[in-house]
Amino acid sequence: MLRLMDRLNPQALRIVALLVVVAAVLVFFSLVVPNYLNGRLFNRISSSVAIMALVATAQTLVIITRNIDLSIGSTLGFVAFATGSLVTNNPDLGPVVLVAYAMALGAMFGAINGVLVAYARIPAIIVTLGTMALFRSALVEYSDSKSISTANLPEWLVAFPNTVLWEWGEMQFRAAFVAAVAVVLLVHLALTRLRVARRLYAIGSNPEAAEMAGINTRLTVFVAFVLAGALAGLAGFMFLARFGTITVVAGLGFELKSVAAAVVGGVNIFGGSGTVIGALIGAILVDLIDTSLVRWALVSEFWREAVLGVLILLSVAADALLMRRLIAARRAREHAKAEARIERELAAQNGRAAS
Amino acid sequence: MAQPIMQLRGVSKSFGMTHALTDLSLDLHAGEVHALVGENGAGKSTMIKIMTGIHQPTTGQILVDGSVRIIPGPQAAREMGVAAIYQEPMVFPDLDVAENIFISARDEGLLRRPARQRARARDLIARIGMDFDVDQVASGLTLAEQQAVEIARALSEDVRVLIMDEPTASLSAHEAGRLRRIATSLAADGVAVVYISHRLEEIFEIADRVTVIRDGSHISTRPVAEVTSEGMIAEMVGREVGNYLTKTAGTATAEVVLQAEGLTREGVFEEISFELHRGEVLCMAGLVGARRTDVALALFGVAPATGGTIRVGGRPLTIARPKDAMDAGIAYVSEDRRKLGLAMPMAIRANISVATLAEFLGRWGLLDTNRERAVAQAFRTRLNIRTPDVEVPVGTLSGGNQQKVMLAKWLNMKPNILIFDEPTRGIDVGAKAEVHDLIREFVAAGGAALVISSDLPEVLALGDRILVMREGRQMGIVAAEEATSARIMVLATGQAALREAS
Repeated sequence: MLRLMDRLNPQALRIVALLVVVAAVLVFFSLVVPNYLNGRLFNRISSSVAIMALVATAQTLVIITRNIDLSIGSTLGFVAFATGSLVTNNPDLGPVVLVAYAMALGAMFGAINGVLVAYARIPAIIVTLGTMALFRSALVEYSDSKSISTANLPEWLVAFPNTVLWEWGEMQFRAAFVAAVAVVLLVHLALTRLRVARRLYAIGSNPEAAEMAGINTRLTVFVAFVLAGALAGLAGFMFLARFGTITVVAGLGFELKSVAAAVVGGVNIFGGSGTVIGALIGAILVDLIDTSLVRWALVSEFWREAVLGVLILLSVAADALLMRRLIAARRAREHAKAEARIERELAAQNGRAAS
Repeated sequence: MAQPIMQLRGVSKSFGMTHALTDLSLDLHAGEVHALVGENGAGKSTMIKIMTGIHQPTTGQILVDGSVRIIPGPQAAREMGVAAIYQEPMVFPDLDVAENIFISARDEGLLRRPARQRARARDLIARIGMDFDVDQVASGLTLAEQQAVEIARALSEDVRVLIMDEPTASLSAHEAGRLRRIATSLAADGVAVVYISHRLEEIFEIADRVTVIRDGSHISTRPVAEVTSEGMIAEMVGREVGNYLTKTAGTATAEVVLQAEGLTREGVFEEISFELHRGEVLCMAGLVGARRTDVALALFGVAPATGGTIRVGGRPLTIARPKDAMDAGIAYVSEDRRKLGLAMPMAIRANISVATLAEFLGRWGLLDTNRERAVAQAFRTRLNIRTPDVEVPVGTLSGGNQQKVMLAKWLNMKPNILIFDEPTRGIDVGAKAEVHDLIREFVAAGGAALVISSDLPEVLALGDRILVMREGRQMGIVAAEEATSARIMVLATGQAALREAS
């Protein structure tokens, strides 16, 4: 077992482990909840994950650099409202313009965080705790306590998230979910294939060494926040499309849910490692448990939160244990190798001396 | 002679009132291993930081290929071909070896090409004569392999000046030998290698020229053939000794309060044996990496010994955690005031009582702040802590006064044995003398002190006997009457093994 663990790439291993947990949760609830496994479950979860997957991906980008973005829910809320009011006033605007507007607005909020964290060197948790409140207040001020309502939105926008692209039995693959997964895959490809993306990991892994290695750490962290803002903006657009009705509480609590999804998905909260695929599955798992607990009569609303909390602690503990074993196994192997090598060299030297 | 690759001309660096470097000049030539020696705190690290762009010189110039250049940061330094590797390698633990090497490469294009990168990484690793997997993550590498990764990174960027800062201090003899071969072969390829080491024998093995610096000033630069270890040591330690370091009469008695026998912590230090007498100051001398602090931490139970015996007052004692040591009357005054010593934002009063809170409990088990304040006031008078009030945060005091607060904290425990780790590092001359007096007072009153110090004049003035360590080994114990700075330095640099035997 240890040998197998050792051979698998730790990130791949985490994803396999997560999928196993997802399967286990499905099996468990199908046993305790009558008529549990059906297409409606998939449709419900895929609809809400469409938004959370984007927010968790954004959060992951920032966490990888050993930072955190707590303003992400406020950014999402503001962008959803602003985009909604833009399209309410200009019903002729097309999807490309709206998405670009949402992402640009999000990127702007991200840039504010980025400047304060990367250039003013204020800890991200403090900066984004502040901007979380600021962006939310900006939304309250901007909205003038009105809300966006579905009736004023163009039809295509409201229809978009629920457009069924293809069906498999009762399971519907809806446009919003497919689009979100596509974006996550795109970010995943960028993170694993782009050379500059390695710098995000390098900074989170050892900031001092990154500086010494000549990496422009400030610019890199700034860019991470801007990208996270843009993705949160995109999530804001999806939020608008899905719910139609936007009030000042839009996206409230998403900042912590996104951190939870990322951490459950194996993203190291201290930076340096993690994948957005993991964060996506983390988001699915959190949402799956949340949704399923609602249908489990045994668990009251209060306990739902507690069970979620326990799940997060368990996954983090499992992660730490797993990594410790992996590292120990690897060390032992390396040690054995090194000893063998020294022995060989000594033998070679003795051989030379003897001849 | 050919144009030097890099020159420092009259470089000075001050941090506030401290002069780390004064008018230092140095020429670095291609194809040469240039050794840099000096005591701890002589200014070597500051020099490296200036050459790699981390610090800017206060005055003076840096020339690269004969023209004046400003090095605004590490990135610019690397572009000019200047790289440094350190005793503690700077790698990215989560990235694999190949990624570590090419993290800041500029010639690799937009997309990652793992296969090509690994092939290049393997070539570089092979070029420096090592052999290990390039697709494993760096956290699994040994220290020597991590250094190899850093050297490979420098090579991949066409390094022209490679600074090696005590690269062998934490390596085994086998690994150190290999690293020295890498250094000489790099020089043979036309790199200017700056080699900093406390192991003098290494310098004689690989250096072409040797520069001695002391107290931030250039003392000498000579071809290695014209250097003797005695001459080098004399130049390293030959500072003027201020008269505050006067020797006072010893108060040592025959009674042994602490005895260590064959004390060992596997892989860190071994076979440390000494007796500490009531009324005695035993100093521990040695260079960086001599592992003196580790012996202290073992005696205090922070990182317990794995072998050997400790006797306190004649009785064998297992010290597994700090509480065991404290119960036996041992206190440890750390060298790192900021990290291990004081809670900087807290009041002097609270810092003094923190290790002995149980004594300050009043009715209902609540803290009796009046008693705390009274004790703090008493120490303030007794130790002459210069502060308007004991409610002042410790962080606002000068280094010397912080040191006294730390001392007060442990004195309040009424220990029999006090271990001081670099008690006067970074504090001014006046405060130094006061701290010395306090240590003397403590032993005169029947205590015993073990003092770790890298400051040779201090060791000579304070110690009744001096235990010298080198790389985790005990090199000898010298009585105060027989101790000279040269003798201590000879032991600390490992030049003695031959001499003492003959």
